[in-house]
Amino acid sequence: MPEPAFAGEKIVGPVTAPDDVLRVEHIAKRFGPITALRDVNLHLRKGEVLALLGDNGAGKSTLVKILSGFHKPDSGTMWLKGEPYTPKSVLDARAHGIDTVYQDLALIDELSVYHNLFLRREPVFRPIPFLNNRMMRRDARKALDEIGISIPEIRAPVARLSGGQRQAIAVARAMSSNADIMLLDEPLAAMGAKEGALILDLIARLKEQGDVSIVMILHNYVHVFQACDRVSLIQDGVISLDKPTSDTSVEELTEIVVDEYRRARLAERADEEKAAQALAEAEQERQG
Amino acid sequence: MAVASDTQAAAPAPEGPAERRARGGAAMGLLRRFLTLREGSIIVVTLVTFGYFAITTSNFVKGDSFKSLLPYFAPLAIIAAGEVFVMILGEIDLSVGAVYLFTPFIWHLFHHAGIPLYLSIILALLVAMGLGAINGIFVAYVGIASFVATLGMLFTLDGLSLVISHSTPIQVPGTGIGKVTSFGQIFGGGTYSELFWAIGIVIILQLLLTFTRWGLYTVSTGGNRLGAAEAGIRTRMIIVRNFVLAAGLAGFAGILEVVRVTSATPDPSGSNTLLLQVVAAVIIGGTLMTGGDGTVVGALIGALFLGILTEGLTIKGVSANYLDLYLGIAIIIAMTLNTLVRRVRTGSGRA
Repeated sequence: MPEPAFAGEKIVGPVTAPDDVLRVEHIAKRFGPITALRDVNLHLRKGEVLALLGDNGAGKSTLVKILSGFHKPDSGTMWLKGEPYTPKSVLDARAHGIDTVYQDLALIDELSVYHNLFLRREPVFRPIPFLNNRMMRRDARKALDEIGISIPEIRAPVARLSGGQRQAIAVARAMSSNADIMLLDEPLAAMGAKEGALILDLIARLKEQGDVSIVMILHNYVHVFQACDRVSLIQDGVISLDKPTSDTSVEELTEIVVDEYRRARLAERADEEKAAQALAEAEQERQG
Repeated sequence: MAVASDTQAAAPAPEGPAERRARGGAAMGLLRRFLTLREGSIIVVTLVTFGYFAITTSNFVKGDSFKSLLPYFAPLAIIAAGEVFVMILGEIDLSVGAVYLFTPFIWHLFHHAGIPLYLSIILALLVAMGLGAINGIFVAYVGIASFVATLGMLFTLDGLSLVISHSTPIQVPGTGIGKVTSFGQIFGGGTYSELFWAIGIVIILQLLLTFTRWGLYTVSTGGNRLGAAEAGIRTRMIIVRNFVLAAGLAGFAGILEVVRVTSATPDPSGSNTLLLQVVAAVIIGGTLMTGGDGTVVGALIGALFLGILTEGLTIKGVSANYLDLYLGIAIIIAMTLNTLVRRVRTGSGRA
């Protein structure tokens, strides 16, 4: 059972729309003593780009990893295109059409660009299952050209690439997998302005086609209003705000986050005072 | 060299470094590519060592010394081939020497119980692989450091070998004293039998490593375990599988070796020396201890290097007391060269 939220906090209850492709209700997840998610309700409509916001440690990445099949939730239910959704693994989620770009990119530095692009779905020959490297190189080149990312040497290990290029490869990997739901955990974090614009363009293009629905963790509010249809804010393991981007503003989002910070500081100070008091009392007792 | 690079600079079309390197593929380019191969430096070091002994001793290049080198080199190469798969994962299997020692005794036990020769070999190898699976499960699922888990396995198997053999040598099934049976011919008794097994195994495993998903996922798991798992690779399965492979090959090398000498001696110190030589061969061959990179062919050449060095020093008449001393220094020199060349290859300041 999810624990009750602290006083004054707003929790968004289960929300649905008729054209939802993905819906989760009352998701909770603990890691030992740490409660990452308490009671998360989230939905994603077809063709929509949803921004997932929240402070560091709020539970964004955990939520994404639950949706991607990497973690299992402790409780709660999920639906995918109307069917109950309980991914057994990352591969299972991928088979259901959900692909993910993780915050750490999940790239293997030692492998070449094209091996990374096709990791876990490498074409092989038959009957001897040798890797079809030629086909991978050709398709990798095509996929990168389509996205418009310039990677001069696809045989090079990705360790040699810049942060932005690496991120582009991780994004390209998800995009070239024909997923219809994409989870992007900070896809723009290591990118320069130009590369970032390229990825945002790409997302806009996907949105125009209307087949792909995207959940995107972002930190930069400018990107949120540039690329996303709707915003969900995670605070302390619950969704505390869920609005179309047209109904909110940078000011409102900033205000909420700053408010959270103030509240945390106040709580911290109260804790400190309580601790100081307890210490003083203990001291008195010892002397008395 | 200067001329070559000038013409490259003058080339009209913009091209990547790969194409440029390929086109300027003159002798220098080829040499550079060879040297920067994972195995390149150890090949050179081995050739130089061979040349040194060939020139400074009169009878090193004769066939006899090669033949006497084989029994040392072949089991080493076979076990090292399996160890490469574990070390690419960033793990280590310290129990391969013990499995090598233990498997023949289990084989003998099975055969003694009336199980036919070939079936008993298969069963003994299955036991060896089972021991590898236990190693792998402790490492991947229980989460014990491989160094510790396999160290425990090492002592357990050394002890078991002494217990079930009652510390006395045994006569090996399928062999006879003073004659080599046809079974023996194939499984280690023939002069080149172990060599053929070693080369065959190394070729197959190198193909496996370079051209199959198993190899790709092994490198991925060793390079970035979390990332590999996020990408959907079942990293724990890969870990268990590679420990099974390493133990299976160690057991097989053990059987080949006891068939060659027709008796099995419960000698843990010998098998543990072999373990250290295996690790040395793997590292000298160009496999990283930190995982993510490695080569089976390199390990074979590493084993060959150790073999040539030992054999050469022996033929030169170096006193037995000095043998390990020279061996140690040579290993350090070879490793230093390897590391320097790797730095050139990966283009990084420190590999």
